[in-house]
Amino acid sequence: MASTVIGAGITIEGEVSSDEEVVVQGTIRGKLEAREAVTIEAGGTVEADITAGPLSVAGNVTGNITSSDRVDLQAGARVVGNVKATRITIADGAQFKGNVDMDV
Amino acid sequence: MALLTVIGRGVRVRGRIQGEGELSIEGHVEGEIAVSGEVTVEAGGLVGAAVRGRVVTVRGAVRGDLTADEVIRLEDGARVVGDIRAPRIAIDKGALVRGLVQTAASGAPARAKGAERAAAAPAVQKAPAAKPAPRPAPAARPAAAPAPAPAARPVAAAPVVVPASRPAVASALAGAPARKPPPPVVPALKKGAKAALKKKAQ
Amino acid sequence: MAQPRSSSSSAAAHAAAAIGPGSRVRGRVTGDGDLTVHGRLEGEVQLRGSLFIDEGAHVEANVDADALRVGGTLEGNVSVAGDVTILSGARVRGDVRGASIALHEGGELDGRLDSEFTLPRELGGGGEGGDDNHKKPARR
Repeated sequence: MASTVIGAGITIEGEVSSDEEVVVQGTIRGKLEAREAVTIEAGGTVEADITAGPLSVAGNVTGNITSSDRVDLQAGARVVGNVKATRITIADGAQFKGNVDMDV
Repeated sequence: MALLTVIGRGVRVRGRIQGEGELSIEGHVEGEIAVSGEVTVEAGGLVGAAVRGRVVTVRGAVRGDLTADEVIRLEDGARVVGDIRAPRIAIDKGALVRGLVQTAASGAPARAKGAERAAAAPAVQKAPAAKPAPRPAPAARPAAAPAPAPAARPVAAAPVVVPASRPAVASALAGAPARKPPPPVVPALKKGAKAALKKKAQ
Repeated sequence: MAQPRSSSSSAAAHAAAAIGPGSRVRGRVTGDGDLTVHGRLEGEVQLRGSLFIDEGAHVEANVDADALRVGGTLEGNVSVAGDVTILSGARVRGDVRGASIALHEGGELDGRLDSEFTLPRELGGGGEGGDDNHKKPARR
């Protein structure tokens, strides 16, 4: 399936909603909603609440995260916001500030 | 570091997309688009936004003005409602457009360059505003007139289609070689003339 | 073929007519058949046929024809039943209406294009310019 890539030099201010995978190398400010996997690469910045399937973060996120699946914060990730997911991993070197709510 | 942004088919963006790089739109974007590189609206792409780029290529549908620093290409299947401005513009036979189209010597004709273009620009800018007014000539194609009876055309002596918005064209049709700006209303006064007139008035 | 300063001139039915490079016609040109302009034409053109404006030709007229091909200069509004082709060396100023309008890169255009079509529903189409199948009567 084709994936959507927000390139490094690009900033989107507004709402992004997708029914396919999204890779963020640039900046999104506003709202991000995806049904499939979202990857925020190193250098990628999301200042928005995120709703996604599996979420992998190596960049910056400021906003609340709601995932229908797992959330993985890689080394170098910086996340400020609450996370709601079925599973979460926070790698050594990842920075995280917020609450975690796992459906139990 | 990827320079290409792809807004995939299943994606909807409502807002402003801006920055450096190339942009390919297969999904739906509403708002505003301004990037430094090449913007392509792919077949099936839907854009409800003004689009600015170095090169703009449209194969899908756009409601919004297109502006490019180099060239705009509307390919077969493109549907555009909006104004189109670039130094070079190419429109395929299978592309459909409703709007103003302006090629220019050096980009962004809104900032008029050469004297001729500067003179033409004001007249042209007025045209879209007056467009809702009916245009007698093009609309008046008598459907079944066997011979093109001049009598069928309501306008007689004056060149047809002379809405006030296109005085430049009317004057051109009257035989002027090129569009000229309307003569200045107030002739320039020589130095001291104003004082002399004031004195006269007393 | 070219009659300088004639008030009207008609081309014979289906015969090709031409205004040569050294000629100038001022007035209303009407007829059945194709017309090629190599020189100057000022006034108005109504053809049941194709108008071809050659490179180097200069036409200042509103044009009403079945087809139009411009390689030279045209100032005037265009209403064509069929195809309009603006070639890469052409300069056109005026509004253009036709079944199809092609602009070759390099051609200069300054005017409105007005084609009949509707945008997809997602972009608010379905009213703008009328339906493709049921043409509204021409706006007057």
